Amino acid sequence: MEKKYGVYICTGCDIGKSLDIEKLAGVAAKSKVPICKNHPILCSPEGVELIKQDIAGEGVNTVIIAACSPRVMYDVFDFGPVLVERVNLREGVVWSHEANKAGGEGEEAAIDPEFQMLAEDYVRMGIVKAQKGELPEPYKPEEEINKKILVIGGGVTGMSAALDAASVGYEVTLVEKEKELGGFAAKLYKQAAKTYPYTDIETPDIQSKISAVSSHAKIDVRTETEVARIAGAPGLYHVSFKPAGTETEWDVPPKVVAEEEAKAGEGAKPSEGGEAAQAEAGGRVYKDILAIDENAERYGAVVLATGWKPYDATKLDSLGFGKYPNVITNVMMEELASKESLVRPSDGKPAKSVAFIQCAGQRDEKHLPYCSATCCITSLKQARYVREQGDDAKAFIFYKDMRTPGQYENFYKSMQQDPGVFLTKGDVVSITEDAKKNLTVEVDNTLIGEKITVNVDMVVLATGMVPTTQNEAILNLAYRQGPSLIDLELFNGFADSNFICFPYETRRTGVYAAGCVRQPMNIPMCEDDAAGAALKAIQCIESAYRGVSVHPRSGDMSYPDFFFARCTQCKRCTEECPFGALDDDERGTPKPNPTRCRRCGTCMGACPERIIGFKNYNIDMIGSMVKSFEVPEEDGIYRVIAFVCENDAYPAMDMAAMKGLKLPAAIRVIPVRCLGSMNMVWIKDAMSRGIDGIILLGCKYGDDYQCHFAKGSELANRRMDNVGETLKSLALESERVKLVQVAIDEYDKIPQIFNEFMEQMEAIGPSPMKGF
Amino acid sequence: MAGYSVDPDVKFVKEIQKLGGESLKKCFQCATCSVICPLSSDEKPFPRKEMIWAQWGLKDKLVKNSDIWACHQCGDCSTYCPRGARPGDVVAAARAYAIREYAFPRFMGNLVGEGKYLPVILAIPLAIILLVLAALGNLKIPAGEIVYSKFLPIKFVDSIFLPFAGLAIISLGLGVRKFWNEMSPSRYRHLVGRNFFKSLLETIGEIVGHVRFKKCGTNVGRFTAHLAVFYGFVGLFATTTMVVFYEYILHRETPLPLYDPAKILGNISAIILFIGISLVIRNRLANPDQSSSYFDWSLILMIFGVVTSGILTELLRLANIANLAYPMYVVHLMFVFYIIGYLPYSKLAHMVYRTVALAYKRQVETIGM
Repeated sequence: MEKKYGVYICTGCDIGKSLDIEKLAGVAAKSKVPICKNHPILCSPEGVELIKQDIAGEGVNTVIIAACSPRVMYDVFDFGPVLVERVNLREGVVWSHEANKAGGEGEEAAIDPEFQMLAEDYVRMGIVKAQKGELPEPYKPEEEINKKILVIGGGVTGMSAALDAASVGYEVTLVEKEKELGGFAAKLYKQAAKTYPYTDIETPDIQSKISAVSSHAKIDVRTETEVARIAGAPGLYHVSFKPAGTETEWDVPPKVVAEEEAKAGEGAKPSEGGEAAQAEAGGRVYKDILAIDENAERYGAVVLATGWKPYDATKLDSLGFGKYPNVITNVMMEELASKESLVRPSDGKPAKSVAFIQCAGQRDEKHLPYCSATCCITSLKQARYVREQGDDAKAFIFYKDMRTPGQYENFYKSMQQDPGVFLTKGDVVSITEDAKKNLTVEVDNTLIGEKITVNVDMVVLATGMVPTTQNEAILNLAYRQGPSLIDLELFNGFADSNFICFPYETRRTGVYAAGCVRQPMNIPMCEDDAAGAALKAIQCIESAYRGVSVHPRSGDMSYPDFFFARCTQCKRCTEECPFGALDDDERGTPKPNPTRCRRCGTCMGACPERIIGFKNYNIDMIGSMVKSFEVPEEDGIYRVIAFVCENDAYPAMDMAAMKGLKLPAAIRVIPVRCLGSMNMVWIKDAMSRGIDGIILLGCKYGDDYQCHFAKGSELANRRMDNVGETLKSLALESERVKLVQVAIDEYDKIPQIFNEFMEQMEAIGPSPMKGF
Repeated sequence: MAGYSVDPDVKFVKEIQKLGGESLKKCFQCATCSVICPLSSDEKPFPRKEMIWAQWGLKDKLVKNSDIWACHQCGDCSTYCPRGARPGDVVAAARAYAIREYAFPRFMGNLVGEGKYLPVILAIPLAIILLVLAALGNLKIPAGEIVYSKFLPIKFVDSIFLPFAGLAIISLGLGVRKFWNEMSPSRYRHLVGRNFFKSLLETIGEIVGHVRFKKCGTNVGRFTAHLAVFYGFVGLFATTTMVVFYEYILHRETPLPLYDPAKILGNISAIILFIGISLVIRNRLANPDQSSSYFDWSLILMIFGVVTSGILTELLRLANIANLAYPMYVVHLMFVFYIIGYLPYSKLAHMVYRTVALAYKRQVETIGM
């Protein structure tokens, strides 16, 4: 398709009054853009109409809008299948820079040439970007997108997710390892009330949920079943099931660690061909992840709701579990309470006085460093079981802090009212047993003001939740990066993430975690969580169906193209993709899975051969933008390029502009999808043409990362080591390139970051590469 | 195994709740009360610890604790409590419990402390007075000028009241001794004894000025009301002392003329007491949040009764309405008996327990244990 360009300059919002618009239009003319118009309010119906007329009448199909930030008015400047490029004159130039040089006495203030140049350069860069970009088309795989949802885990969360998804018309398969549905919720004697006023206990409502799931026409329940492997990608999953606890030929191979692979050598490499492809690990022969199971079932997305396991109470040395028969866990207490009368294990004597020990391992670095969110409510509820035996029954609760999330504060309050329930903060020092198997609990640092001892019939340890993802892969993904979710150690093994704005999302597109496998939570929270994950699964399926990205670049039609002819099989893209979107084959050639892809471009940044790119975002495009503007050779005039992450740093810059914070005019900002997509060649290109410095603004990385693509800014930082080499080869100082982490709310720091960098450049002096 | 062995007494918890501390279980031990309390000390703050002792039914800790008497029920803690646990009311209930706990004989504490026994409690003095009147043959309204001493000679009044006052003092003494022994740890008891008189005098000095009461924020009105009641009683006590002097030393006849210093003091004191107790009633009614138990109301109404009946007795005499004046005198004597005879068991006993507890605290602070 031949491009016909049109440049449209908005002169509203201070743009017309600060800049020489005629000169700006001259830039477009010099770039041989046939149509260049301006309008006082381009976003008004008249302004939009002006563009639409040119599209219809003049055949303009590539529109460059020089107006406000691309973060605003994107819906107004949407003309359907027309490539639209935005030049940010408002926030990027006029609101964030001083327009005039301070004039002398009596002189009329003139437009600062550097200010005008900045705007002109941005127009040049916008035109180049439009020249190098193509209109993306949605990804349409050969295989049809499947819309079925697989829910793993038949507890309260899994069943809720299945019901939620099925109730809006999606076919669901619910897989449960155990014989019966219901999970832990079905093992409860009573549950804390789920409705206002949240003060009582009630018979669990799980049975009605089980029957609703079992009788739903769109839900296929499979108990005593496990997932052997999930191959493929969102919309295109091929899932192999197996009876729980068995081994099958389709069990997914464990992750191959790089060194092992090297050790194994050529001979052990999987041989060619789907069916025959095999891998070896731990003495067992596995089918390679790319092998195709003909009997596998097709799914669109997965909800992971496998919940938790109780912490092993025998690890709590001082609390006597396993040593004294009358020391039990809160899970065992539910079982005891379900019987006719509440009697203790040792001698069947009624458990009339019971001590509950909160945080039995939780919030303890040696055991579970986190709060399990439910144990305080559970103990309060179980104190009620004790008290139901009569007015002479006593329940003691020793806690670190009472934590009853949400409306359960009401339940706490109501249980406090019971005169036979005794609560105190304290550290349990020891539990001892007498000849009659009665127990004495010794508690120090109590609110009573001293160390106390209490004699009781039974002790209940409020043990915490261990996520099922702690030690097991469960998902058994046939992914080159391994069968389980990654980096879960950041979340103590929970299938959680730092996508604070996007809960349920895991590091595997198409897999959405909910309930206690994601975070410790109580039953109502699990039900809410299930709805969220079900909606996410549906969003994923529908996005895959339309051929667009699901999140966080929701609706993005572009996806990475690989020019395989030049691939050197270095596997860097496969390894660095934060989402495991690529599965290299036996030769190491990456196999893209576009529906797994989140379009961050980390692969593009990683590729040393520069063979990966998007239609509207590629190496050549950014490289050309870097080369599109003039680098003045006069002494004292500097040029710096800022590669700015679109997700947090760029909005922070827009905010700074809206607040009227001023930036140096020497800096040219190029937005990037993620710092992970930064290819080192751009830095080399820029430096070799005399750019004085390069600053990268990206999200915070590390344990509390804020990167929307989890690893992008961290990878960029790691690649900075190589930048030093590049600069050395050009005989340049390594200080000329710097990476700075910016959070979205740190807009106030932007001027300081840029000013300090400019001062640093001035200290080093102009680049010696100018004029080469 | 070291440590204080805890065995909660649920009955005690319920008792405290019944005595006006019904909200005590709401406390979640944040200690806002101890921080906000203007009377609490940094070394031994209250009433946070009292709250958990009450919740856990730790009677032995709560009742013998001197800090419950340091509380003047300002209400700051109850106002600021985030859970509505009303610590002020709970501590007041603990005091009520303590008075009953130390009462000698015990059954008297229960008789005075529970509403259902009020008729019995009032019938006792009434019966005694009527019996004495019957014995004197005076069970009719006398004719002529109203002279109460002819109706019931002061000697007889005193012969009724003095033994009972003596019993009250003995009973109170026994109660206070028990309290003292429980309050002070045995190994320090000898230390507490030293210079105790000095601490007691200082404490009384404080009480005379209502120094602690003045620190209260939320319930400032109570300061004025209590001060008036206090000085009303002080005045009336002085009046009684003067009348005893007139009667037995000077052998002057009653009624005294209105210009007599004792009469003037008595009348002014009665008015002050009347104003004071009226303010107390008004404050209580205006603050429905604050718990007002039978224990509180019984004393308030008896004081109101004693002062109103006293004023009416005088006014009816002056108005020469014999048919009402003599019965009113009997009623007045009944109320007076309640105030004096039941002092160790009614809320009025606080004046002794509090004084002793505050003196003890002062002593402990001086010695620095």
